[in-house]
Amino acid sequence: MEPEISNQSLLFLIIFVLVPLTLSYYYQLGMSKDIVWSSIRGTVQLFAIGYILTFLFDLNPFMGIPLMLSIMIIIATFHAWNKGKELPHAFLVILLGLIIVEVSVLTLWLAFDMVEFTPSEVIPMSGMVIGNSMVAMGLALERMKSEFTENSGRLMAALSLGAKPSQASHLIVTKTLNAALIPNVDRLKTIGLVQLPGMMTGLILGGVAPVMAIKYQLVISLSIFSSVSLSAMFVTMAMYRYFFNKNDQLLENEEELRNQQK
Amino acid sequence: MEHTVFQFQNVSDDILHNLNFKINKNEKVILFGPSGAGKSSLLFLFNRLRDPKQGDINYNGKPITEYVISQLRRKVGLLLQSPNLFPGTVLDNLKYGPSLCGEWNPDDAKKLLEYVQLPESYLNRKVDQLSGGEQQRVSLGRTLANSPDVLLLDEPTSALDYRTAEEIEEVLERLIEEHQLTMIMVTHDLKQAKRLGERGLFLMDGELKEDGDLESMLTDPKTEELKEFIQD
Repeated sequence: MEPEISNQSLLFLIIFVLVPLTLSYYYQLGMSKDIVWSSIRGTVQLFAIGYILTFLFDLNPFMGIPLMLSIMIIIATFHAWNKGKELPHAFLVILLGLIIVEVSVLTLWLAFDMVEFTPSEVIPMSGMVIGNSMVAMGLALERMKSEFTENSGRLMAALSLGAKPSQASHLIVTKTLNAALIPNVDRLKTIGLVQLPGMMTGLILGGVAPVMAIKYQLVISLSIFSSVSLSAMFVTMAMYRYFFNKNDQLLENEEELRNQQK
Repeated sequence: MEHTVFQFQNVSDDILHNLNFKINKNEKVILFGPSGAGKSSLLFLFNRLRDPKQGDINYNGKPITEYVISQLRRKVGLLLQSPNLFPGTVLDNLKYGPSLCGEWNPDDAKKLLEYVQLPESYLNRKVDQLSGGEQQRVSLGRTLANSPDVLLLDEPTSALDYRTAEEIEEVLERLIEEHQLTMIMVTHDLKQAKRLGERGLFLMDGELKEDGDLESMLTDPKTEELKEFIQD
């Protein structure tokens, strides 16, 4: 029997919205409008994607999968780009990075028969990989910018001692990668102990045997771990050089970074 | 005959305006002037941490742009206001510069610590366990590890208390003499300037207002700007 939540039951979800709404009203947080709007928007988005997925799942996989993956990658690129717009070629680097990550992961899945080339398997799993990679790239860009600002003295010192930008940035690159990878290492360490991962929970609720659900969860968790590492590494290694000009001089502010793009 | 180390000809950028001067070997030059005068901006031109928009800078008779940047920076060492040490030990910092080009000799570590008057036991000490003065000594040792000919100093004692500043000053004075270094120092402290410098370059609003013997400049300023600056 397929699990079913009736529409009437869904209506009672409004109680979950009323809790933060009441808190906002009581403590005058001024967030009531945001709470109502985000709840409505989230509901509409989810139903819309539900219908779109139903449509895509019925399509020929060779059409539906590339179409949806392209849309996801482009949206993810724009989102991550917002975190480092002032950096030259950031858009292209992120786009290329996401394509490389997704193609690599998908190739491995298919080559080792972990996932079937059907929209219902590839699209949701790729969505998780692309989404996590997007977050990792955005975080890496933000972290890199703040590390460059905070460590400008050290970078100047390194350059003045004869270091090339790649050598001077070593510390920044290490810190950025650490920051991007640590949350994932922690998540993997506690997986199944602190919280049951979303995908596994979904599969179990959908009637799949727990051991099979765990296998899928392992595939996705380790794929995400790998793709997040690759994304952070790719964006960091591709972008650090834009904090310097061609004369191995540190660019000190956003204006100088922007001027370099021209 | 005096050997010219640096020659500036019509050097200008957004901050500095039409600078013309020479610096000879072993000179002890003080760049001074009010905040925002362009002192640090000028200092960073000597080792190409900045480049001017116009004009020519020659180093040892050759345009500065013809040198390999990393090699130029090794020869024209810089000590900043803050030590800016790299995470790790004193040894990690001392060997940083020479290691970049595979020239580190482990025997140099002891010698460098002697230069900056730190005990040998400090070699494997983590830099974050050191006091401000000790960190600045390590930073100086790190700069000297590259065996520079010119030493650029950007207010090297301004972040330190009076006593520690005096100690660093003594170390600097001795090392500059011993190693026959050409020194170019930015400082706000006119007393320190007199103690360490021989020649003064007085900058204001990016212009070189006075250039000459430091003692005479401070006792008998030629320009109104310098008179006012000294009185302040």
